[in-house]
Amino acid sequence: MHRLPTLLSGILLVFLTSWLGVVAYSTLELGRLQPAPDAETGATLPPNYGGDAIAGERVYAAEGCASCHSQQVRQTSITGTDIARGWGVRPSVARDYLRDSTAFLGSSRLGPDLSNIGVRQPKAAWQFLHLYRPGSVAEGSLMPSYSHLFEVRKIQGQCSDAALDLPAEFAPKPGYEVVPSTDAKNLVAYLLSLRHDYPLPEAPVKKAAGAK
Amino acid sequence: MHHDNHQNECGGDSSGAPLSPWIVGAFMISLFLGGLYLAYHSGGFRSDVYESNAVSWTGGGAQTEEKVDPKVVGKRLYSQNCVVCHQSTGLGVAGQFPPLAGSEWVNSDSKHGENHLVLLMLHGHQGPMSVKGGNYNNAMPQWKQLSDDQIASILTYIRSDWGNNAPAIDPSFVAGIRSEHKDQSDPWTQAQLMQMPPAKGTPAAPAAK
Amino acid sequence: MSTTTCRHEEGIKAAHESCIDASVRSPLLLLFGNALHWLVVAAFLAFLASVKLAFPGFLGGVAFLGYGRLEAMSRDLFLYGWASQAAIAAGIWLMARLSGRPLGGVILRTVINSAIVLWNLAVLLGTLAILAGYSTGVEWLEYPNWVSSMLLLSFLMIGIWVVCLFDRRANIGSGGRAETALWYIVAGFCCFPWVYGTANLLLTWKPVSGSAQGLVQGWFSGAFLLLWLLPLALASLYALLPRLSGQHLHRRNLSPLGFWLFLLLGGWAGLSRLIGGPIPAWMTSAGIVAGVLFLIPVLIAVINLAFLQRSGGHDGDGIAWQYLRSGLFLVLSSALLGAFVSLPDVSAFARFTGVTSARDVLWLLGAVSFTLLGVLHKATPALLAREVWCAGLSITQYWLAFAGVLLLAVLLFLEGLVVGLALLDPVVSFLNITSYAQPFHVLEAAAWGIFLASAVLAATNFTRALAAERLFPKN
Repeated sequence: MHRLPTLLSGILLVFLTSWLGVVAYSTLELGRLQPAPDAETGATLPPNYGGDAIAGERVYAAEGCASCHSQQVRQTSITGTDIARGWGVRPSVARDYLRDSTAFLGSSRLGPDLSNIGVRQPKAAWQFLHLYRPGSVAEGSLMPSYSHLFEVRKIQGQCSDAALDLPAEFAPKPGYEVVPSTDAKNLVAYLLSLRHDYPLPEAPVKKAAGAK
Repeated sequence: MHHDNHQNECGGDSSGAPLSPWIVGAFMISLFLGGLYLAYHSGGFRSDVYESNAVSWTGGGAQTEEKVDPKVVGKRLYSQNCVVCHQSTGLGVAGQFPPLAGSEWVNSDSKHGENHLVLLMLHGHQGPMSVKGGNYNNAMPQWKQLSDDQIASILTYIRSDWGNNAPAIDPSFVAGIRSEHKDQSDPWTQAQLMQMPPAKGTPAAPAAK
Repeated sequence: MSTTTCRHEEGIKAAHESCIDASVRSPLLLLFGNALHWLVVAAFLAFLASVKLAFPGFLGGVAFLGYGRLEAMSRDLFLYGWASQAAIAAGIWLMARLSGRPLGGVILRTVINSAIVLWNLAVLLGTLAILAGYSTGVEWLEYPNWVSSMLLLSFLMIGIWVVCLFDRRANIGSGGRAETALWYIVAGFCCFPWVYGTANLLLTWKPVSGSAQGLVQGWFSGAFLLLWLLPLALASLYALLPRLSGQHLHRRNLSPLGFWLFLLLGGWAGLSRLIGGPIPAWMTSAGIVAGVLFLIPVLIAVINLAFLQRSGGHDGDGIAWQYLRSGLFLVLSSALLGAFVSLPDVSAFARFTGVTSARDVLWLLGAVSFTLLGVLHKATPALLAREVWCAGLSITQYWLAFAGVLLLAVLLFLEGLVVGLALLDPVVSFLNITSYAQPFHVLEAAAWGIFLASAVLAATNFTRALAAERLFPKN
């Protein structure tokens, strides 16, 4: 180990163990997973999601949502509390992230896990309210307000369909309405697409009622 | 800043005492325990096993695979492929498309075997046909592009719905029939089919001609 | 001392130390100076983010002050603006000094200085990109693709020279001065481009399928800390602690064992960040085992270095000694906490909470930062060829830093315990549990404030030293 070639070969070999064992293995084994067929509906799983959800993924990245929210339901051999808490019906597996161009696994839960938020809060109206004024639907929430994703504008004639239905203390001044921007709509489309509740060969969904 | 005398640095002269056996022992034991843990919590080192409390050194995933009911699959395939003609009620269209509900071809009787049913699906039918006493003269397309599993599940489904109650068809039976008649390219006529003796397609014994 | 009068020493005779220092002066001052200023910015952004966490309505609704953006900016600034630059500086200085070879030639110096400018430009642009909403969203790799390519290119321009110095060192045959330190430097400089390049390639440049990304992310976080930053920190400890004490390593024979184990386990220990995650079971177990066993090489380093006593030397060395000793203590604490959270039963409640954040704080802001600050405090007087540190300022800065980091780590740990254990009961609502954490967030903001103060003092001290040199140059 006094000479560079010896030292370098040693470092290379040892480093290769983790590089091959983790990176190459995951890229080749998990990275090549294909969608699984759904016997009941003939579709493939995980389900595809539409263009606005794909755009919403970029909004999720830009706002740094992964700093506070995770997107993984943990394996039951480690802990069953994620499932018991209703954050999912089964643990997340690698194939669940197949359609994501960026897998936002997250490493911090300042806010709840989002991997099944499309099941827990399937109404876009709730999602918009929550983004605009989190306190209006979740009292005491740490979540900051993302009002910059919305536009407060004067009501032209009638309220537009997309206007948020805010409670009195959060509503804008009379004659004004809050309308989501394209970014907000895309983000909500992405959030509503988040679900890991379908069965996969390596992750069956237990039909027993005791899951939730 | 002055020079430092290199001699009083930790250099090669402090080769030091031999490694203490305690340290070596502790190190070996930790490595061994680590390896043991890894061996018992690795799920057989499979890439599809996610729960670390499943030791499966032999094949097969650690979780039991849930078998999908073929009737469910069959119903889905029926609604995608067959309802156009035979309708979702299984009653067909009078004078045009024969019914499946209560049909002797579907439920099998002394003259109509399961082999006839499978051959109908595989290669289709043309020319006059009598079903439940009614006459039909239409063309049924071939469905041999579907897999054995898919054909078996469709047949199992139609034999169990709309009041029909006939045993399921096994995919291996379909496979046997398919290979027996692999050179068949034209649709069957009723006369051709009736020349073949009816055969039961029990799962245990694939029908012989 | 002008470098033009510094002759290249030939053969095995080592160059005069002040000659070496003079030759690496401009790159090092550039690196350390920029690193310290980024440290201030990073600390300020982290402080702002922690205030937003403590008072969620604070500065709400402003796009570029969102918590997610602040958090990403500050974390990346700590990693690439402060720690990586200081690590590169430490690597250059220690490698040059220990190998006895000055940085020769105007061309090489220009290349290295340009690389440093490129690096800092990349960090600046990357931070602004995150601010403007162009973050990639990948943890620790939020800089856009063109920025990360700039960082990699800039690193290669410097790293190749540093690694090659290992073979050209002046005293190869004699078993080496602090050779252990040199191994760690070579390992760190080799691993960074590979780790950083691979992770960027697979996660941001040409992303692999999402199913593999989680693993690569976890591996990257672990490898960046444990195979790039930590080796440079350990190298600093191995090089400077014996020198400042004038004593030998306690158990020198263990060093190679420690080094190779360190390299082996460092790549796998990152998997302990994914315990319970969507990864095959064997990789979870590998992460658990590696995370716990990682204590072994750390203990070897601690055994070797902990029993050295400070002796003699310059007054200016005192502050460096303090930083380095604290760094060693923090290395041990981080490894202990890391091993603790690698245990599956602990990870069950501790993952995603303040406990794992505390581990990262202890590694990055504690172990790595303190050792690199120690190198900075030892190197700057040597580079400027004069005593530069104002004792009062330095001591205040040290104690503020130590208090800030320790307070932050303890608070995060306690918050994590409270929240994690409360979350175990599925009946208690999540919102209820967040309210338990609120007082901790307020105190953590205070701890960040203390750390920010110390960062400001450090930058002030350094700038003062440089200014004094400019205004009153010593001929």
